[in-house]
Amino acid sequence: MRLKIRNLKKCYDQKGIIENLSLEVDDIQVLSLIGASGSGKSTLLRLIAGLEAFEAGSIEVNGHNVIESEAVEYRKKVGFVFQDHNLFSHLSIFENIMLVLEKVHHRKRSEVEPEVKKLLEQFGLMEHAGKLPHQISGGQSQRASIVRALSIRPELILLDEPTSSLDPILTYEVLSAVKLLAEDRIDFIIVTHEIGFAKSVADYIVFMEDGKIIEQGDRGILEAPQSPELKRFLGKVLTFDGGSNVNSL
Amino acid sequence: MKKKLSFATAILIYIMFYIFIAMSALEKNIDFSAYQRYYKVILNGWFTTIAISLVALVMAIFVGLILYLMRESRFAVLYYFSEIHKTIIFGTPLVVIAIIAYYYIGNAFNVNSKFWVGAITLALYIGAYIADIYKGAVEAIHVNQWQTAKMFGFTRYQTYRYVVFPQVITGILPPLAGQFTMTIKSSALLAYMATDEFLNTIKTVQSISYRYPEGFIIVTTGYLILTVPLIMLVRMLEKKLNYKV
Ligand SMILES: Nc1ncnc2c1ncn2[C@@H]1O[C@H](COP(=O)(O)OP(=O)(O)OP(=O)(O)O)[C@@H](O)[C@H]1O
Ligand SMILES: [Mg+2]
Repeated sequence: MRLKIRNLKKCYDQKGIIENLSLEVDDIQVLSLIGASGSGKSTLLRLIAGLEAFEAGSIEVNGHNVIESEAVEYRKKVGFVFQDHNLFSHLSIFENIMLVLEKVHHRKRSEVEPEVKKLLEQFGLMEHAGKLPHQISGGQSQRASIVRALSIRPELILLDEPTSSLDPILTYEVLSAVKLLAEDRIDFIIVTHEIGFAKSVADYIVFMEDGKIIEQGDRGILEAPQSPELKRFLGKVLTFDGGSNVNSL
Repeated sequence: MKKKLSFATAILIYIMFYIFIAMSALEKNIDFSAYQRYYKVILNGWFTTIAISLVALVMAIFVGLILYLMRESRFAVLYYFSEIHKTIIFGTPLVVIAIIAYYYIGNAFNVNSKFWVGAITLALYIGAYIADIYKGAVEAIHVNQWQTAKMFGFTRYQTYRYVVFPQVITGILPPLAGQFTMTIKSSALLAYMATDEFLNTIKTVQSISYRYPEGFIIVTTGYLILTVPLIMLVRMLEKKLNYKV
């Protein structure tokens, strides 16, 4: 993906949440956004998705100039998976996917069925295809959301903490599914607290604090952070690797 | 099996209590003859109650929708109009509204049919509650579902048609059935505006025959026959449609 963000400013209730943020990356496949709660990761992701208007600056994604009010066609090319409540709760997994393909993309059911079934198979969801969202586990539900996002053959998929409401086993399930995407060479931006995952899958890492980018670069920044903020952050999230970091808290 | 037995026992105790109360009221003998004589009038009243409640409910469903849409409207006047209506309704007893509606408002607009003044009054009353049912059902749809629809490129119409509406329908069915029970019960208050509905016909026969307790037995039974199935329907709908995300 090619991403060019210039002097971005976003306010909620007159309060600046993102201020003067710039980011430029090219030829990146998996970008991982990390940072403490409230640092503005979700906000930035929604802005990149063209879901919300912003006060100043510009966002360019793969050559699209993203402006919320003019982004209808752009959004159709981008997949978005939220933390939870993604699936339409009155429709089965299969119909959730079909609704989008039929109503928005005007595809014939018979024509797309084989592809959809293949995707469901690939993500281990075939036996759950006929179930309603509340009849499957949180992990299955998140994987189904990923399949639905994939079904429109997006240019880019945005994932906002897709595993934060899941237990470790389900988290592993979903992250394995995301890894499948990476192996398929699909571009995505993922907001995650799973540093281990970011380390093994992401080829670019952006660390945010208070609406600003503090540090960015390849996986190396997780091994050898430069800024005191990132050092402190990693110290806090990596306390479970046997307890060796406990003292640095 | 055990459940059924417990249910039968509870019902039996209730009936015994009911009979005990009735007996102590009916000093000597039970005499339903006056009610037999007027059974056509009474039956008529009972059907009027059903008809008035049905008509009122159908109108209330629209009144509620209009009030809800006004509330969501971009025009502040409509928003306040809707909120003021609801505040007055929530804050005033239905009897008072019924009396005013009958003696003054019906008069001012030249509506003389007691049936229609009654039905419209009920519709405006119940409609205020139904507006909030719509509001609750739409608000129950998680923000991520709206955002997802926007992301996928659903138009505003498609979002409402394929995402919001089907979820709202299942969300409002149980409370709407509940409101129908409310409407039937509230329609009894229209007796105050001399509408010839169920309670009023019974009261008339009571005053002719002086057989008061018998009248109350008939009136409670008559209302329960209408409301119990509805209450059971609400329970069933709640169980059946209760899918959480
Ligand atoms: N719709 C909104 N209205 C007002 N303030 C908001 C809104 N959304 C986010 N904020 C504020 O913006 C700031 C950044 O929020 P954001 O959700 O982007 O953080 P985050 O990094 O995603 O945090 P988390 O890890 O907890 O999800 C927070 O202070 C939050 O309170
Ligand atoms: Mg967030």
